[in-house]
Amino acid sequence: MAFKSLSKSEKAYIQASLQSNSSLRGDGRSLQEYRTISLETGVAPLANGSARLNIGKNDAEAGGGTEILAAVKLEVEDIEHGERVDQGRVTCSVSCSPAAYPLASSGGLDDLQHDYSTFLDDILSHPSITPANLGIVRGKKAWLLALDLVVLSDSGNVYDAMFMAARAAIWDTKVPRTRSVEYRAQKKQEGDMDVDEEKQSGLDTRQVKAATDFELEDYWDEGIPLVGREAWPICVTLNLLSSLHFLDATSQEEAATPLRLLLVYSVASKSTPALQGMQLLGSGEVDVAQIKKLIQDGEKHASQLLAAINLKLRDEEVRLTDKARLKFASVR
Amino acid sequence: MSSRIEILNDGGFRSDGRRQYELREMTFDMAEQAGADGSASVAHGLTQVRVSVFGPREAKMRSQTIHDRANINVEVGIAPFSTGDRRKRSKGDKRILEFASTIKSTFEPVIQTALYPRSQIDIFVHVLQQDGGVLQACINATTLALANAGVPLLDFVCAVTGGVHAAAPMLDLTTLEENDLPHVTVAVMPRTGRVTLVSMETRLHVDRFEEILRLAGQAGGVIHKEMRAVVRERTKGLVDAMGAGVRTSDFAEDAMVADS
Repeated sequence: MAFKSLSKSEKAYIQASLQSNSSLRGDGRSLQEYRTISLETGVAPLANGSARLNIGKNDAEAGGGTEILAAVKLEVEDIEHGERVDQGRVTCSVSCSPAAYPLASSGGLDDLQHDYSTFLDDILSHPSITPANLGIVRGKKAWLLALDLVVLSDSGNVYDAMFMAARAAIWDTKVPRTRSVEYRAQKKQEGDMDVDEEKQSGLDTRQVKAATDFELEDYWDEGIPLVGREAWPICVTLNLLSSLHFLDATSQEEAATPLRLLLVYSVASKSTPALQGMQLLGSGEVDVAQIKKLIQDGEKHASQLLAAINLKLRDEEVRLTDKARLKFASVR
Repeated sequence: MSSRIEILNDGGFRSDGRRQYELREMTFDMAEQAGADGSASVAHGLTQVRVSVFGPREAKMRSQTIHDRANINVEVGIAPFSTGDRRKRSKGDKRILEFASTIKSTFEPVIQTALYPRSQIDIFVHVLQQDGGVLQACINATTLALANAGVPLLDFVCAVTGGVHAAAPMLDLTTLEENDLPHVTVAVMPRTGRVTLVSMETRLHVDRFEEILRLAGQAGGVIHKEMRAVVRERTKGLVDAMGAGVRTSDFAEDAMVADS
């Protein structure tokens, strides 16, 4: 991180201990180990889905760590004339709290925010991973999924944290149930003999093809989860130091590492991961042959990380549904 | 004033089941947050605010330094998902700048800036959830964060929102009530009983104003009691931690006695 200054000797110390035979890290982790990740979903009551994620929280002092708040809001959007008539859109933006980067100037903070937003938006708004159930009325209306992330504090590995928080918020998102509505002129009745004929309302709410508008269905739950949320991508940052790489760098380690490789994978269930994005950060260089190896390693790390996150997300889902049920029971 | 939602029903209850003068549930969290000298999260009902304080430190821009006292710099960020409909406000938004300057002018007479000439105190406010009383939450959180950072204050600043429905005054309004009622935010310094902020953007009858102001002053006292308890608990935790390592427990106890 450009805003963390590190003395020459401090840098050399971190690098030397990482490269030593037993590779030591400041907090005693092994090279491929993450700090403790804590995750909570459903934290913003006004959003359709939300999550708060913290990597490396210090239990004793209840502080520290990289903290991200992610929330999804769904808005109804008119579809312009185009090729994607039955699909919604995803946009993503990142804002950084000035408290996360206390040494950055206000211009520097804006640049950083822009960098994060572009990287995330490029990957997450790609049509290949847009959830399938964002359409409302074919050719007329669709949900716009706005994903907003707030970086509350940064102590290293912010990209991984942002992608994990985004995944959790997406997982938590419920799309409201809708029903298409068609307006139809009432038929004129011929003669005055057929009194038995059922009177037809001008407002027909059955599933119809020529629907022009929609209404919200009255149903007990908040909606349907997003289709294809399992395939939502996740990022693994490989910090490269000569021939070795390590995961989940703290901000000091980041400052001492010349090169970082961001790999974004999307794992649909039971299939091989697809590489959704890739970026090299930093001033160093790396061999092409080495990159191939790194991508394979990254794939392994990503699937491990994903397994852990999915487990936690399922846990959270159970917790939240239990809460909803208890609330419902107590009201009755 | 007619609205579809009943602000105060015949039984004397408001839309969320509170009485007229009842405050919402308050949570004050003074736990340390990465890197900040002092920080606090405050929630009034569903409104949630997080404040970090940095400093007194050297100003980022030299031109901002004042030769005989510290400069207070307030920056406000509002999460785009904090309101009912999503809205992204940029940092230069007039509304946000005004909000920041309100907070700044509230705290200028309270912080003992003369102790830190040529330095800067940064107050970063982040609004995470809005459900009425955002200004009040920001001010209460800033007070706690400043106290947590060890910045010398003359007194606590405790803020509360008051409004009037028909002729019935009520406290701590939600968004629903704020949209329908004339309301005023008052920040008091409970020890001296002075008022550092009165902010009103709606019309209110003069006769009602006095009543609201008096009521808000009393409510400020109640909030002060809660805030003081949290500050004490936090300080006690720190003093205990200080005594835990070395054998200075006697000293710690003495300090507590002297403090109380």
